[in-house]
Amino acid sequence: MAVDLNAPVLVVDDYQTMVRIIRNLLKQLGFENVDEAADGREALEKMKKTKYGLVISDWNMEPMTGYELLREVRADEILKPTPFIMVTAESKTENVIAAKKAGVNNYIVKPFNAQTLKAKIASVLGDF
Amino acid sequence: MPSPEVANKVRDAITALKGADLKDPRLGEVLNLASQMSEAMQMFFSSLDRSLFDEMRYISSYIQRTRLEISNLRPNDLSEDRIPGAGAELHAVVQHTAEATNTIMAVAEEVMAADTSDPDAYQALVNEKMMEIFEACTFQDITGQRIKKVVDTLTHIEQRLERFANVMGVEDAELEETLEDRRRKENLLNGPALNGPEVAQDEIDALFGSEGGESMDQADLDKLFG
Repeated sequence: MAVDLNAPVLVVDDYQTMVRIIRNLLKQLGFENVDEAADGREALEKMKKTKYGLVISDWNMEPMTGYELLREVRADEILKPTPFIMVTAESKTENVIAAKKAGVNNYIVKPFNAQTLKAKIASVLGDF
Repeated sequence: MPSPEVANKVRDAITALKGADLKDPRLGEVLNLASQMSEAMQMFFSSLDRSLFDEMRYISSYIQRTRLEISNLRPNDLSEDRIPGAGAELHAVVQHTAEATNTIMAVAEEVMAADTSDPDAYQALVNEKMMEIFEACTFQDITGQRIKKVVDTLTHIEQRLERFANVMGVEDAELEETLEDRRRKENLLNGPALNGPEVAQDEIDALFGSEGGESMDQADLDKLFG
């Protein structure tokens, strides 16, 4: 299976710098259609309007965390199949296990590099 | 009415009754008994007064000592100068790092988007932009100095609070969980670990499978994380 580079990607992070970094990395990987949200609530609203091919989300955000967003997405029959990668500084065992149980497709700990992001996207969406 | 005064009044009354030359012997016995009780009460009230006085004196000296220790904490200096100062330093650190990061990223984006058709012009542009990146990196020295000032303030507060707690014999009370505490717990908001990730990316990769395909059950998870 090959990655659909035209599918829109939603980057969710409350730090504009991190959004910019991920956006640039995605651009280098060939993704042109990148959208962004500053927290889980904004992301959820956008997801109800647009069908995204991938969500890349931070964990620690207000008012809705990435973990809450993930659970909301997995509980919604329409949004449920959306591939979801968590990119976060939360690196405790309990966080990784909770995300896995909640249905996250992959998990990246910050700081990360372009190669890691590419590998995890490939593991979720298919080869580039 | 003070206890010695009460005792004196009782004694006077007894003396007056004795002087009345009453002939009933039972009354004499009652009066003797009352006299003994009066003396005992006087001793009791005297000791009670002294212990109350001692207690009040102890409380007074404790309050004085507490005031002195609180004064030694220099709470006004902390709340009006040191803590706001530390906050301002941290705010400046956040601002400088954000500015530097934005500068570096903007320069990198310019280089990536630059026209490469003229190699000489492209090289000149790259050299110029690299210098801008070096300049932006000078924030590190300043933020290092700012953070050191914050650490000094925290150490100062820690030492004074520790001394206060030791002198006053203060023990930590049970903390009541706030709504914010509960939310942080429910959402597992632990924040970044101090010495790098607690679970390394390799371990996470093992959990998700190298191809990201197979899911693991709880037994597999427990095995992986011990």
